[in-house]
Amino acid sequence: MQYFSRLALLLGGLLLGTPLLAADIDAETYGYPITNPFEATIATTPPELRPTLPADADIRQDDYQLRLRPEREFELPENFWPVTRMRYRLAEQKGEAPLIFLIAGTGAHYASSTNEYLKKLFYGAGYHVVQLSSPTSYDFMASASRFATPGLSSDDADDLYRAMQAVRANHPSLQVSDYYLSGYSLGALHAAFVSKLDETRRSFNFKRVLLLNPPVNLYTSISNLDRLVQTQVEGISNSTTFYELVLGKLTRYFREKGYVDINDALLYDFQQSPQQLSDEQMAMLIGTSFRFSSADIAFTSDLINRRGLITPVNYPIEQGTSLTPFFERALQCDFDCYMTEQLIPMWRARYDGGTLNQLINQVSLYGLEDYLKTSSKIAVMHNADDVILGPGDIGFLRNTFGDRLTLYPLGGHCGNLNYRVNSDAMLEFFRG
Amino acid sequence: MAKIDKKALWLTLLLVSGFAQAEQEVDPDGFKQPLKNLTFNPGLDQREFERSTFGALNVYDPLESWNRRVYHFNYRFDEWVFLPVVDGYRYVTPTLVQKGVSNFFSNLGDVPNLLNSLLQLKGKRALDTTGRLLINTTLGVAGLWDPATRMGLMKQDEDFGQTLGHYGVGDGPYLMLPLLGPSNLRDTGGLVVDFSAENQVNLLNVAEASRNHPEITLLEVVDQRSTVNFRYGQLNSPFEYEKIRFFYTESRKLRIAD
Repeated sequence: MQYFSRLALLLGGLLLGTPLLAADIDAETYGYPITNPFEATIATTPPELRPTLPADADIRQDDYQLRLRPEREFELPENFWPVTRMRYRLAEQKGEAPLIFLIAGTGAHYASSTNEYLKKLFYGAGYHVVQLSSPTSYDFMASASRFATPGLSSDDADDLYRAMQAVRANHPSLQVSDYYLSGYSLGALHAAFVSKLDETRRSFNFKRVLLLNPPVNLYTSISNLDRLVQTQVEGISNSTTFYELVLGKLTRYFREKGYVDINDALLYDFQQSPQQLSDEQMAMLIGTSFRFSSADIAFTSDLINRRGLITPVNYPIEQGTSLTPFFERALQCDFDCYMTEQLIPMWRARYDGGTLNQLINQVSLYGLEDYLKTSSKIAVMHNADDVILGPGDIGFLRNTFGDRLTLYPLGGHCGNLNYRVNSDAMLEFFRG
Repeated sequence: MAKIDKKALWLTLLLVSGFAQAEQEVDPDGFKQPLKNLTFNPGLDQREFERSTFGALNVYDPLESWNRRVYHFNYRFDEWVFLPVVDGYRYVTPTLVQKGVSNFFSNLGDVPNLLNSLLQLKGKRALDTTGRLLINTTLGVAGLWDPATRMGLMKQDEDFGQTLGHYGVGDGPYLMLPLLGPSNLRDTGGLVVDFSAENQVNLLNVAEASRNHPEITLLEVVDQRSTVNFRYGQLNSPFEYEKIRFFYTESRKLRIAD
C-alpha cells in the first residue's frame, strides 16, 4: 500500500511536472525552544543548545586591510580615516584546506557577532575562513564600493567579487583546496549574486553556496523592517520614551537578580523574567536596530557621492566636528526614504532604470530565478516565521530551489543559526 | 428560512475565522506571517523611534569638539600601540597565566568594591565582597585563583563614581579621557578617589611595589585592555562617538541603580 502511494506520488509529480519537495522540518522533532519569532531574532538560541566552538585563543586569525579605492583617502573627510581601506578577517588553518567566504548581513561589520559565530563553526570544521563586511555597511561603502550606493544587488556583488579577488591576492601562500561561499540575511542575497557572477568570471568556481535566511523580495523585507518601528507599544507616554521603557525594565531585572551580569544568556533569561518585553516592544527593538543601519547608509552614501541631502556639499568636517546634526537628519530616513531619495535616482541616471517594480525584480532573488533553478550547488535554509518574509516568498523558494530548500518551523530571523541542529545541517551541506 | 440560514452561515464563518486566528494562520506554502498579530499604529506615522533617539542624543557634552579629538586619538593609539601589545602579550603568555594575572588584579580591585559598598550602606554586597577578598587572598593564593566565584560569591563592581551617583550627584559634562575612554566629570573624580584608596590600603603591598616597578602597572594596564572586549570601530557606524556616549551614560545609570 505504502509502495503504491509513493509510486502514485512520484507519477503524479512527474505528470504535473512539480519540482522536488523542500525539506520541511517538523516542529516537534526540531526541538527549538523559542516559539516567538521576535524573541528568537533578538535572543537567538539558549547557550546550552549551541554547538561547541573553538576558543578564540585556538584560532589563527588576523585582521588585514587593503587599499581598494585609493581615491577615498582624498575624498573623505579626515575623521573617516579608519574606513579608507577595506578591512577583513582571515582565520587560517595549517596547510591546505578549503576556504569559505562569509558575507555579513544588513549594515553589519565583518566581525559582527553572527559572522564571528559562523567563522568559529567553519574554522572548527577545518576551513580557512574569510569574513567580509556587508556592502551596506559603513566601512565597506567607504572603502570598497565603487558607487557607494548599495541596493543594486548585482553591483554590490561585483564590489564583493573584486574584494574577494583582492583578498586572495593578498595571501599568495595560503593553500586552498576549494572555494565555498555563504552569507546570512542580506549577505545571503549577495552570496547568490556573487555566485552568479562567478559563473562568468570563474575566479573561484565555488563548489557550494549556502544562503541563510535571505530576503526573497528585497522591497517586502525593507517594508517589513521599516514597519516594525510603527508598532503600538504599551508604556510609552509623553514623559517616557521607548528606550527609557526598555532600560527601566532592564534596571528592574538586574535589581531583582541582585547584580549586573552581562553574558550570552542575558536576553534569554530576561525574556523568562517578569520584566519580559511584549511582541510589539521586541518588534520595535528590531526595527530600531535596522533604522540605525538605514541612517548610516543614507548618511554615508550621501556624503561620499556629495548629494547634499544630509550633509551640505563642501561642509568642512574635521576630527572635532560634531556629526550629531547630520545624525539627526539621517535618522529620519528609513530604507524606503533611502531608496526613493538616493538609490532610485542613481539607478535611473546610471542604468536608465524604470519603475520601482522593475528595480525590485532586478535586485531580489527573482532576478536570479532561472540561475537558481538550475544550479544544484546552491541551497537555502530559511524559517517559516522569519520577519523579513512576506506572503508568497516561501512559495517562490519552494518552486525555485525544490529539495535544496530546508525550511525550519521556528527561529525568526537568523535566531536559530546557532542552534545545534542548524549548525550540523550547515556543515553537512558543505561536506557534500 | 433562507434568511436564517444565511445568518447561521455568517456566524459559523465568523467563528471559524476566529478560531483560525487564535491558532496562528499558516499560509499554504508554510509561511507563518509573524507580523500579522502585531498591533500597528493605524496611520503608520508614529515618530517614536525619532523621538526616543533624539532624547538619547541629548547628553550634556560641552567639550564635544575636544572629546571627539580624544576619541580619534584613542582609536589610533588602540590600533597602533595598545592592541598590538595586547596581542603580543596573549601570544607569549599561556592562557592559564593570563587567567592568573587577571584574577590577581581583579582581587585587588575588590578593595574599592568593598569600600564603596560600605559607603553606600549595601550590607549584603559588602559582606559578599569581604568574603571574596578573604577567600581569594588565602585559598586563592594571593588572588591568582578565584574560588569565591565558584562558591557563588559573584564579583560586584562598585566604584566611587557609583557611590556619588547613589547619593544623587549628577553626571556632569561627558568626558572622553585619553587612553581610558568614555567617562564624565563625576566618574573621573571617582577614578581618582578609588586609585588613592587602593594606594592607601596597599593590599599585598602591590601599590607600593609598583611605585618602584612600573612594569607592574604596565602589566595591569595590558591585562585590563585584554579583558575589555571593546574595539573602536566595532559599532561600525559614522556615528560611533554618539553611540558610545549613549551606551556609557546608560550603562552607568544601570550600575548606579543596581
